[in-house]
Amino acid sequence: MRNVVVDILLAAGVTAELLCCVGVVVMRTTFDRLHYTAAGTTVGPFCILVAVLVREGFGEAGLDAIAAVALLFLAGPLVIHATARAARTTER
Amino acid sequence: MNAFEASALALLAGFVPLGWVGLRERAIDGVAALELAGALATLVLICLAEGYHRGIYFSVAVVCAAATWISGLVFARFLGRP
Repeated sequence: MRNVVVDILLAAGVTAELLCCVGVVVMRTTFDRLHYTAAGTTVGPFCILVAVLVREGFGEAGLDAIAAVALLFLAGPLVIHATARAARTTER
Repeated sequence: MNAFEASALALLAGFVPLGWVGLRERAIDGVAALELAGALATLVLICLAEGYHRGIYFSVAVVCAAATWISGLVFARFLGRP
């Protein structure tokens, strides 16, 4: 049962990330692309993090995975905002 | 090959379209693609660490996430200069 949950979470996370990659390619403007970049730091990483936690629990490996995903989740919007500001400056 | 290794392999495929954007589109679009590539790289490292059952390798993913953050800010800063 635990393996099935892990597989489903991994499939969801990988699918979300690949959809974000496709979105970055398909979209035409920088701001639309940044929308997909931001989504790539939230949905997919959380699914993969939960998969790791289901497998490993809250041991050393699990805490390291939490730290990595938390960095992505918390720092992602800052970088996206800075990039959007830079895009706005270059479009003027 | 277990599920985490297969996931890492599938995630690696995402670098191809992002590389295309980085090569063909404007520089600022390349930065957007680079930021997503950094998140992908972090997830690949997490999946590989779990897939190979090496707990110490999770630290590499933490460093990758931090480097992604810093590099994104640096690129945004320099591309946003008037």
